[in-house]
Amino acid sequence: MPNSTCVKVNPLESASIALSGAEMMRANPYRPWPARITSITQLTETEKLFEFRFVDERIRSAFHHEPGQFVEVSIFGVGEAPISISSSPSKGGFIELCVRRAGEFTQRLHEMQCGDVVGIRGPYGNPFPFEEMKGHDILLVAGGLGIAPLRSLINNIHDERSEFDNVTIIYGSKNPGEVMFRDQFEMWRHRQDFDLYLTVDNPDDTWDGEVGLVTAPFAHLEVDAGNTYGAVCGPPVMYRFVVEEMRKKGISYDHIYMSFERHMKCGMGKCGHCQIGHQYCCIDGPVFNYWEAKNIQGSM
Amino acid sequence: MLYRVINADELPALIEAFMKDYEVVAPVAKGKSFAFEPIASFDEIVLDYPTTLTSLKKYYLPPKETLFEFNTGGGGDGIEPYEMSVKPRVLFGAHACDINALNNLNLVFDDSRYPDPYYDAHRKATMIVGISCSPTSTCFCHLLESDEVRSGYDLFLTDIGDRYFVSIGSVEAANILEAACDPREADDEDRSSFRKATRARQEAFDEGIPHIQEIPMLMDAFHSDEFWDELGGRCLSCTACSSVCPTCYCFDIVDVLDPSGATGRRDRVWDACTSPQFALVTGGHNFRSSTKERVRHRMYHKLNGFNSQHGRYLCVGCGRCVRACKADISPIEVLRFFEKKGADDAE
Amino acid sequence: MTDTANIPRVVLVGLASCFGCQINITNVEKHLMDVLGQIDMRYWQLTSSDPMPEDIDVAVIEGAVTTEEAKRTVEDLRSRAGVVMTIGACANTAGIPGIASRAYDGRQHEVYGEHVPALVEDIAFVPQAVHDVVEVDYEVPCCPIDPMDFVKTLQNALYGSNVYRHSSTLCGECKRNERGCFFGRETLCLGLVTRSGCGARCPNLGRPCNGCAGLSPDANVESARHAAEKSNIDVRAFDSALEIFNMIGMGEQRV
Repeated sequence: MPNSTCVKVNPLESASIALSGAEMMRANPYRPWPARITSITQLTETEKLFEFRFVDERIRSAFHHEPGQFVEVSIFGVGEAPISISSSPSKGGFIELCVRRAGEFTQRLHEMQCGDVVGIRGPYGNPFPFEEMKGHDILLVAGGLGIAPLRSLINNIHDERSEFDNVTIIYGSKNPGEVMFRDQFEMWRHRQDFDLYLTVDNPDDTWDGEVGLVTAPFAHLEVDAGNTYGAVCGPPVMYRFVVEEMRKKGISYDHIYMSFERHMKCGMGKCGHCQIGHQYCCIDGPVFNYWEAKNIQGSM
Repeated sequence: MLYRVINADELPALIEAFMKDYEVVAPVAKGKSFAFEPIASFDEIVLDYPTTLTSLKKYYLPPKETLFEFNTGGGGDGIEPYEMSVKPRVLFGAHACDINALNNLNLVFDDSRYPDPYYDAHRKATMIVGISCSPTSTCFCHLLESDEVRSGYDLFLTDIGDRYFVSIGSVEAANILEAACDPREADDEDRSSFRKATRARQEAFDEGIPHIQEIPMLMDAFHSDEFWDELGGRCLSCTACSSVCPTCYCFDIVDVLDPSGATGRRDRVWDACTSPQFALVTGGHNFRSSTKERVRHRMYHKLNGFNSQHGRYLCVGCGRCVRACKADISPIEVLRFFEKKGADDAE
Repeated sequence: MTDTANIPRVVLVGLASCFGCQINITNVEKHLMDVLGQIDMRYWQLTSSDPMPEDIDVAVIEGAVTTEEAKRTVEDLRSRAGVVMTIGACANTAGIPGIASRAYDGRQHEVYGEHVPALVEDIAFVPQAVHDVVEVDYEVPCCPIDPMDFVKTLQNALYGSNVYRHSSTLCGECKRNERGCFFGRETLCLGLVTRSGCGARCPNLGRPCNGCAGLSPDANVESARHAAEKSNIDVRAFDSALEIFNMIGMGEQRV
């Protein structure tokens, strides 16, 4: 007969046994690990960029992510939220999360200070095919907060810039005040690392970029279709229009990648909240190519 | 599969043997219905129960289960030592559909990438003893390949008159069976009775429930049909369907504070894709904001989505939702719709 | 929160109601000190005659708005408090005052003829739920409230929580209790349209749901009425039971 079986969730357990970080995380995938806020940058009125470092050295060294993946962030008592990673995996030891103040959880996160500790588990999800993209032109299109997961890819590409051919970024926002990472992108444009199109719906007196929808720059864009990978992330209404523009330019279905937003609650393909058709956004996505997305009922 | 035969009057001894070391859960009468509940004696068991109100999934995935405890002093740095222990348990009297349902849950939770220690603990502590059944008017397991079960049980008892044809699935169960009963080799008469019993069951299904080929493909092909407006338009958004469903495994993860506010726990609780807030994201966008989309999604997952991930229907045709839904929404309605579309006089 | 300046200042105000919800809060003596330890309870109508303070963080309101004075009180609380929380069916749906008022409609003229005194006119104010007068941040449903639900909701207001308030109706919770359905016994139950969250405790005690948690914003009244009809339940009885929700123009509730 079996003895009664037990699940132990104990912060001290791992201290007494010599486990690796990976083993610690695997032992109970629902357990978040303490991560300290080491930097906070106010990006816009509603968005902040947080830098986190895992408190436990073993977790810190075992945690590896790829561009397009996300983590589950915990504030005990408030709950848990899935947030995409905005930093490049090429820089180890920390992760950056770009967070919009939109709900109760993010409100509390925005109230936190450097030195405060949250819980983080992950990383989760199917990333952008970074290795496969190497040697090609890259066309990245972001709308609004969609820049958050794409920034991980953008930074990663920048860190290995010589591996890629032409890189174009189209980034649309509602208002000039909502444009994030502008200084960084402008600097890279200035150094001719990337072609950059910043566009807003509602320009003000200071705005010197483009005006109009994120699809507007496509009108004067030259694309080497056979050699290009596209990547898209933005609000739900944006995808259909952007991928159609990419198709018109001749980019193959399976070279157009998009990152979807859903409420990934467990992150592990179980809880069902992020299901799109027959797929789980958390394990089959959040990054899908257009061919896959076309085959998912209700994806766009 | 190893099989033996025992006499029906040996069954109480088998139950008593289980009760020595295990909590025995079995079908008992509850009002006008039946439920799986822990029993204290063999006499409580209703061996020929038609179906139960809810399923056995509560023993693998409880409606509410604590994942861990925490203090709120440290933001995300306050996990408290927490231990969940699970009682060794025998689920006695499970029908084939319900064992198939647990097998489907295993496909989701027994995941090499992300092991689920809680589910795993329940599963490891549980023995399953199945029993043969006779279909009710709402049973359609045979249409979804769930009327027989080849694995996932420790014992399976098929009623062949005054004796049981016993399929033996585990060495633990074999040991208990041999110690408590006098299992013998089956003879020709036993085998013939077994064949007759399975045929009788097969012939007892309600033929009014249509047998449809290529259901998963039809779920794709008719995804935009007006039928879903009509079916979804009736939905009461009550989630009774998923409460009684043996294969609805969706859950929510919620933090619950103690009255002091200083400590609390993280629970996982049953959730349902037919609940209006299920696909809501922060910022207010709801990816399935209508009853039509929610009902269609639930059916799609049961009759297509799970197939593409795991190669079998998630729905096992147990018929519980057919009874629980006051708006008459069930997979049977979907099958009837497909039948209508294929009829000679279809529009 | 050790800094007293940061302790949230809470007031609890009773309008037209039986005060049963306030009393129910005192019924969790075991936890009451734990809860009170997290807040600065500045005013509690049931337990103290201290005057209402100027500064408020959380205003808890029990009861329906039944007079112009009550309306002014609610508006004043809204303007001063960061968070407004309503407790109980009377505050959330106008409750019994709302149901009762229908019988009074026109009665003042029967008594006073054309010249109804101003005081009586004020009493003839059609009772309203608090959320019909001002914006409400949190609602604790039911008649009476579950005091632990009050504690949980107060904590959500104080500390934040990303838990959604579900609008699914009651039958799902009832089925988790492994209960058969009253409809099968041709007995009227409002669980089909009532907002879930209470755990279906009345059906679990053998009593049909009378809808005290309020009509779910996602209730499908038409489908529920049809279900009642199929179960041999008098449709007129079903429609008349809906009066507990105080929803004017029930037919328009569902678009």
